[in-house]
Amino acid sequence: MPMYQVKPICGAHAETDLPTCMYKLPNIHAQKGNSCTPEHALQNGEVDPAVKALEARQDEIMRKLHELKAAVEGLAKTVTTPDADLDLTVSSSLSESASSTTFKGVTDLDNVLGKDLGALRDIVINANPAQPPLSLLVLHSLLCQRYRVLSTVHVHSSVSGVPPQLLSCLGPRHADSYARHMFQLGFTLIWKDVPKLQMKFSVQNMCPIEGEANVARFLFKLLAPYPSDPALATMVDSWVDTAFFQLAEGSTKERSTVLRALNSALGRNPWLAGQEFSLADIACYCCVLQSGSASAAPANVQRWIKSCENLGHFSPAKLLLQ
Amino acid sequence: MALNFTINTSNPPLGALLAAEHVKGSVQVSVEEGKDTRLHVSDAIQFNDANSISRYLARVAPSLGLYGANMMEQTEVDHWLEFSARRLCGQPGLTVALGELDKALSLRTFLVGHAITLADLSVWAALKGHKEWPNQGKSFSHVNRWFSFLSSQVPFSSVENKYTTKKA
Repeated sequence: MPMYQVKPICGAHAETDLPTCMYKLPNIHAQKGNSCTPEHALQNGEVDPAVKALEARQDEIMRKLHELKAAVEGLAKTVTTPDADLDLTVSSSLSESASSTTFKGVTDLDNVLGKDLGALRDIVINANPAQPPLSLLVLHSLLCQRYRVLSTVHVHSSVSGVPPQLLSCLGPRHADSYARHMFQLGFTLIWKDVPKLQMKFSVQNMCPIEGEANVARFLFKLLAPYPSDPALATMVDSWVDTAFFQLAEGSTKERSTVLRALNSALGRNPWLAGQEFSLADIACYCCVLQSGSASAAPANVQRWIKSCENLGHFSPAKLLLQ
Repeated sequence: MALNFTINTSNPPLGALLAAEHVKGSVQVSVEEGKDTRLHVSDAIQFNDANSISRYLARVAPSLGLYGANMMEQTEVDHWLEFSARRLCGQPGLTVALGELDKALSLRTFLVGHAITLADLSVWAALKGHKEWPNQGKSFSHVNRWFSFLSSQVPFSSVENKYTTKKA
C-alpha cells in the first residue's frame, strides 16, 4: 500500500550557517528537506533551562557528597587514633613524664597489643580487698609514668566496708576522666569478693586471666620486654612463681627456704635476674614486704631491699601497708 | 648444646616431658631417670619445677610457637600453666576447676590460639596424672573432646606409653 506524502513544513532549502572548520558531507536528508525541529535548535544553540537546572542540581549533590566524605574521614581518624588531633593540647595538660628511663627497650602499645581499634584498651582487674595486690599497684604507677593511663577504682556489691586507702590506691581521680579518648590505657580496679585475682582484657580473644603473678607478667610486658635470653627470661618467671606461691602463701619453713635462695642469688648479682632490675625484683620485693619477713632477712636481701627502695617505684605498696 | 633433663620416675613431670618431646626436633634434650626433676641448663642455671622447665623449653624453640604467638596469648598460656599447677593438681575443688575448663573449651579446639601451646600440654598432663579425672570425664563434654583429641596425637600417646605405665 503506497504511503501518502506529507508536504515539507518549512522551505525546501533553508540556508543554515555551517562552521567552516569542518569538512562538508552531503546532506543525507536532502530529499525530505531540512527538517529542523525546535528541540534541535535549542541543543545547538541555547541550552534548555530545564537541563541547566538539572546540571546545577547534580553539581550541588556532588558538592554535598564531598563534604560528607570529608566529615566521615575526619571522624574515622579520631576514632582509630584517639589522640590524633588532640596531642598538642593534651600532652601539656597531662604533664606526662614520658622520659622515664627506668626500663630499657621501649615498648609500643600497638606493637605488643596489636592494632588500636579505637576503643580505650581497658585493663579490668577484680581483686579481693583482703589481699591487696601490691605488685600490681607498683606496676600501675610505673605504667602511669610511661603512658597516659585512665585509672578508676570501683567497689563491687559483693564486698562492703572497703578501707579508704584501698579506694584511693590508684591516686586521685583524673581531671580529664570524662574524655576517655585522651588516654592510651585504662586501668580499672574493682574490689570484689573473688577467691583469686582476675584480669579481664580483650575478652573477645582472651580468657579471663587468673592469678596476680600472671597479671603482673602481662603488665610488666607493657613496660619492657622480657630478657631475650631464654634462660634469663625463665629465671624471671621462676622467681615470680616462687614469690607468689612460696613467699606469699607458703609456710614459715618454705618462706625461710626462699629467703635463703634469695640471699644466695643476690650474693652473685645486684638484682635477682642478673644485672638488670626486672619483674622478679618487683614480685619478690612486694611479697617479702607483704609476708612481713623484711626485718628478719639475711644480709644480701637487706641490701637488695634498700636498693629497691632507692628506685622509688615502691611507694604505692608501702603506703598501703602502713 | 645438649640439655640434661632428669626426671623423678615416681612422679614424672608429664607436662615438661611433653614439651621436651615437642622440641626435640630443634633442641637436643637428653632425658635421664633420677630422684628429682631438674633441667640442667648451665652450671649456674637449672630449673626444678615443671612449669619453669616447660617455659624454658618453649623459649629455646621459638619457631614452634609453644608459648603463643603474641603477648596476649603468652598471658593466656601463663594463666593455664598456673591453672594446671594450682587448680588441677590440688585435690579439692576439681569439679569447679573442670567446669571452668569446660567453659573455656566450649568454643575452642586448643586452649590458646589455633595451635598446640604449653597450655594444652600442662593441662592435659595435669588431667592425665589426676586420679579423679577418669570418673569426672563423662560430665564435661568439651574437656573430654579436647582430651581425647590430644591423646590420639603422637607426642601425647608416646609420652603416655613411656611414662604413665611406670607410675602404676
